[in-house]
Amino acid sequence: MTANPHRRRIAIAGAMAGATLLALAAATGLPHRATTPARAEGTAAPALPAPPPGGVLAFVVQDFVPPVVPGMDACPHGTAPRLREIYLRTLPEAEQARLRLKENEKELTRLWHAYALGADGSNICSQPDRFQHAPFPPVESKLGYGLDLDGGKPGKDGCAHAEFESPTGIQGVDNQEYRALGCQPEIRGPDGNGGDALTGMKQFHTSGEWTQVIVLKGVDSLVDDPDVEVIYANTADRPEIDSKGQFLRGVSFTVNDTAPRHRNVLHGRIHNGVLTTDPADIALAETWGQGGARDIRGNRSQYHYRQGRLRLEFQPDGTLRGMIGGYRPIFDVITSGSLGGAGTAVVAGIDCAAQLASLRQYADGGRDPKTGQCTTISSAMRILAVPAFVTDLTAADGSTPKHAAPNRSPAR
Amino acid sequence: MSRAARTLLAFGAAAAALAGIPATLALGNGPAAPATAPATAPATAPATASSRIVGMRRLTEAQYRATIADVFGPDIKVAGRFEPIVRPAHELIASGARDAALSPAGLEQFDAMARGIAAQVFDAGHRAQFVPCVTPDDACARATLAPLGRLLWRRPMTAMELDAHVRMAGAAAKAAGSFDKGLELALAAMLVNPQFLYVVETAVPDASGALVLDDHARASRLSFTLWNTTPSEALLRAADAGDLRDPAKLQAIVRKMVDSPRFEAGVRAFFADMLLFERFDALSKDPLLFPYFNSAVAQAMPEQMLRTVTDHLLVRNGDYRQLFLTNRTFMTRALGGLYQVPVHKASGWEPYEFAPGDDRAGLLGQAGFLAMYSQTGRSSPTLRGRAVRELLLCQPVPDPPGNVNFTAVQDTANKAMPTARVRLTAHMTDENCSGCHKLTDPVGLGLERFDGIGSWRTTENGAAIDPAGKLDKLEFTGASGLGKLIAASEDAPICAASRALEYVRGRPSDDSGALVEALVKAFADDGYGIRGLFLKAMTAPDAWRVEEKPLQANTHVSLLVR
Repeated sequence: MTANPHRRRIAIAGAMAGATLLALAAATGLPHRATTPARAEGTAAPALPAPPPGGVLAFVVQDFVPPVVPGMDACPHGTAPRLREIYLRTLPEAEQARLRLKENEKELTRLWHAYALGADGSNICSQPDRFQHAPFPPVESKLGYGLDLDGGKPGKDGCAHAEFESPTGIQGVDNQEYRALGCQPEIRGPDGNGGDALTGMKQFHTSGEWTQVIVLKGVDSLVDDPDVEVIYANTADRPEIDSKGQFLRGVSFTVNDTAPRHRNVLHGRIHNGVLTTDPADIALAETWGQGGARDIRGNRSQYHYRQGRLRLEFQPDGTLRGMIGGYRPIFDVITSGSLGGAGTAVVAGIDCAAQLASLRQYADGGRDPKTGQCTTISSAMRILAVPAFVTDLTAADGSTPKHAAPNRSPAR
Repeated sequence: MSRAARTLLAFGAAAAALAGIPATLALGNGPAAPATAPATAPATAPATASSRIVGMRRLTEAQYRATIADVFGPDIKVAGRFEPIVRPAHELIASGARDAALSPAGLEQFDAMARGIAAQVFDAGHRAQFVPCVTPDDACARATLAPLGRLLWRRPMTAMELDAHVRMAGAAAKAAGSFDKGLELALAAMLVNPQFLYVVETAVPDASGALVLDDHARASRLSFTLWNTTPSEALLRAADAGDLRDPAKLQAIVRKMVDSPRFEAGVRAFFADMLLFERFDALSKDPLLFPYFNSAVAQAMPEQMLRTVTDHLLVRNGDYRQLFLTNRTFMTRALGGLYQVPVHKASGWEPYEFAPGDDRAGLLGQAGFLAMYSQTGRSSPTLRGRAVRELLLCQPVPDPPGNVNFTAVQDTANKAMPTARVRLTAHMTDENCSGCHKLTDPVGLGLERFDGIGSWRTTENGAAIDPAGKLDKLEFTGASGLGKLIAASEDAPICAASRALEYVRGRPSDDSGALVEALVKAFADDGYGIRGLFLKAMTAPDAWRVEEKPLQANTHVSLLVR
C-alpha cells in the first residue's frame, strides 16, 4: 500500500481480514459502454497494470445484454412478424385484404387478440406449449457473438447445429439462442442495431433489481495467472449512476450475508489478459419489474447457465469486457414474456408460441435420452463490468462472518 | 428605546393578535405572583426587581426543534419553514440572532407551527401527560399552563402573564365549547410569544455595580450554548436557587454539562455556525461535471464533517489542532463513491481511517469543506483560501469589488490556461484584484488536487496539477501540508477561542482581548480540548458581564385590554 493517493493502478485494500473483499481497479476516465467485442485469443494483450496487493479485484456489472451483430444482413427477410401479422397470414389472401382495410381495424384487433387466447383460458404466452405455431425465421448470417461451449462439435448430450464465427475471428461460437431469436424486433431493432430488449436489460440493471458483481481472488497477474477464484453474485444494492445512465466506479456493494440469492463460485485462469472460467452451472437473479394492470413487479425467475462460463478481458481503463455463455433451459429464455401473460401477446404483439417453437428447433444442449430432443439452448450475454468495492459477507467455507473486517484505506 | 425593547413590543403585540385574545402582558418587571407553583419548583415568580432586558437572541431552527422535543417529547412534529437568521459579515449566526427580526410571513410560519404543536400536545394521545387535573376550569388551566410556560419561557411566568393566558384559555374554551381547545390556543400563544421565540437576556448589577446576566438568563445561555436546547428542569431549579451565580456551583454544573452526551449537540451547533454550514442548504453542482454529487452526498457532506469533529473532540477528547491532521472520519455508501473507498454497510455510517500520509487527512481534505468552498462547476482556490483565513484563522478578507472581470477565471475549458493556477495568475494581472487574491489564492491552490466536489484528481484539462501552496511565508503541499500549518499556527486556537466566546455571548469578541487571552490559555492548559474551552468560556466571570445599554427602568411592554 502506498501513501501516494494519486497513483493510477489497480488498487486494493491491503490486509483485508476474513471474507471482506475489496477492490478498486484502475480508472482513467468515466465508464463507457461496451462497444467492442472481446479480443480474439492470441492477439497481443494491452498494457495492463500489476494486480493489487492481496490479489483481489471487484467489479459491478453494468451491461448484461444479448450480443447482436449489427445490421440487417442476418435477417434478410426482415425482423420476425408480430402476432397480428402472424394471425393474418393464417387467413386466405382475400380475407387478409379485407381485414387490413382501415375500417375493419376494430374487427381485426378483436380477431387477432382472440388468436392469442385458448379455449381453456390459456394464452399464447403463459402456456405457449399449448399452441402450435411455426418457428420464426432464424439468423442466417455466419457471424455471431458468444463462446465455444462444445469444442466445435456437440457432445453426447448435445444436438447437431451450425456454429457462428465472431466478427473478430473466434471460431466455433455456440449461441443458438441468437440464431433462434436474433431476428426478433426486440433483439434486432428496427435498424438492425439492437432493439428494446437491449435497452430494457440496461434499465433493469440500473434499477438495482438484479445487480451483479464479480469478485476475483488470488490474482497474481492480469496477463497470465493459471489459478483464479471468481465469485459471480447478485447483490441487493443499487448501483450509482451518472446523468447519462453509466455506472459510477468505486461504489461499494455487499453480497448479502443473510440471503445470498446467488453466489456462484467459479474457477478460472488468466491467459494473455483474458479471464476464462471452467464450465459450471451458474445461476443469477432475473427479476421482472414491469408494472401495469397486471403488475408483475417482483416476480422472480433466474438465469440458469448450464456448463456456464465467463470469458472476460481486462481493459487498460480498469473495466472487464466479455461474455458469459452457457446452456439455458428453453423455457427460461421466454420467462419475461410468460410472466407478462396475455399482455405480452396482445399489447406487445409477441408470439411466445413461435418463440418456443424456434427455441425447440435450435436447442443444442441437454438432450433428453428418451426423446432425443435437446432441452437447453446455447446462449451468451455481453458483459461490461466496472471497478467497484464488494464486501462479500459469505465466507469461502459457506459460513457467514458476523462482522466485516475493519476498514483500511486502499492505495489510490 | 433599545432594539430589544422594540422587538419585544412588536412581537408581544403580534403574539396576542395572532392568538386573537385581548390581553395585558407586562414583560419582565411585573409584580410578584401568587404562589401557584408545584411544590418542587415555582411555576410563577416575579422577575428580579432590578432585572433589565439587555438582549434578545432568536432561537435557531435546531434550538426550536430541540426545545419542542425536550418539553413535549420527540413524537411531537414540527412542520413549517423557518425564516433564516442572517449572518453578519465575518460573524457568527449566534451574533446575527441577537439582531434577528421576523418578517410577517416568518411570524405566520411560527404561528402555524405553534398551532400545530399545541393541537398535538392536547390531542387524545398526549393530553394526559400535560393536563394534571380533571375539572375543566381556570384552576386546571392554570395548573396546566404554568409548568409549560416555565419550560418554554425558561423562567417562571409572572402572575400577570399566567393570568392573561388562563383568561385566554377560558375565553377560547367558551367560544369553542371545548376546554382543550382553550388550552391549545393559550399554548399556541405562548409559542409565538417573543419570550419563547427569543432568548430574552436579563441582567442585574453585581457587587461592583456592573451588569451581569441574572439567574434564568444564565440558565438559558448555558443550555443553548452547551446543549443547543432549552434549560432542563434541573438547570432551572439551579437558577431558582441562585446556584448559577455561585462560582463553585457554576463550575460543577458546567463540568457536568460538558461531560454529558448532550454536549455533542452544542459542539455540532458551534462548528456548524463557525464553518458556515448554512451554505450547504444552497449547495449545487453541475451533474454532468460531477456525477458523484447527488442528494445523498449533499446530505452526507456536513454530517461527515460534524461526525469527524465530535468523534475527535468529544469521543477521543482530541486536541483541536489535530482536527486538521486526523486520519479518522466516517463514511456512507454515497460518500464512498466520491472518495473511492470501500464502505461495508449498505446504509448508515461507519468509521473510516485514511492511510498515514493520505492527503485526505483533516477537515481540509473532506469533501464537505472542499465542495462548499467551490463554485458550481469548478473548484475555487480563492474561496477555499478565503475560508481558511476567515473561518479557521479569523483573518477577514475583503469582499471583491463589484466590477471584477472574471473571464479568465471562469474559462475552465481554455486549453491555453488549463489549470486554476494558470487562470488565477492571469486574473491577478488586474491590480484591483491582486491585493486580495494574494491573500487567498496561494492558500487555496494547495487544495487543487480536489475538484469542485472534493473528488481526487491529479490533472485538469490534461495538465498536471501543482499542489504547492503558501500560507503567508510558509510553503506547503496539499491538504495535509496545509493542515500541518494550521495545526501549528498560533492563530488557529486563538480563532477558535474567539469564536467560542462570540458563540457564547452572541456578539463578536473583538473588544474582549483579555478574555480571549484567558480562554486561549485555558484552552492550551487543557490540551486544546473543546470541553476545557467551553468550560472556561461559561465560567469566566467576565463572560457573564453585559455591556449593552439596559432598558430604562420605566420601560415595559403592554397590550391594552379592549
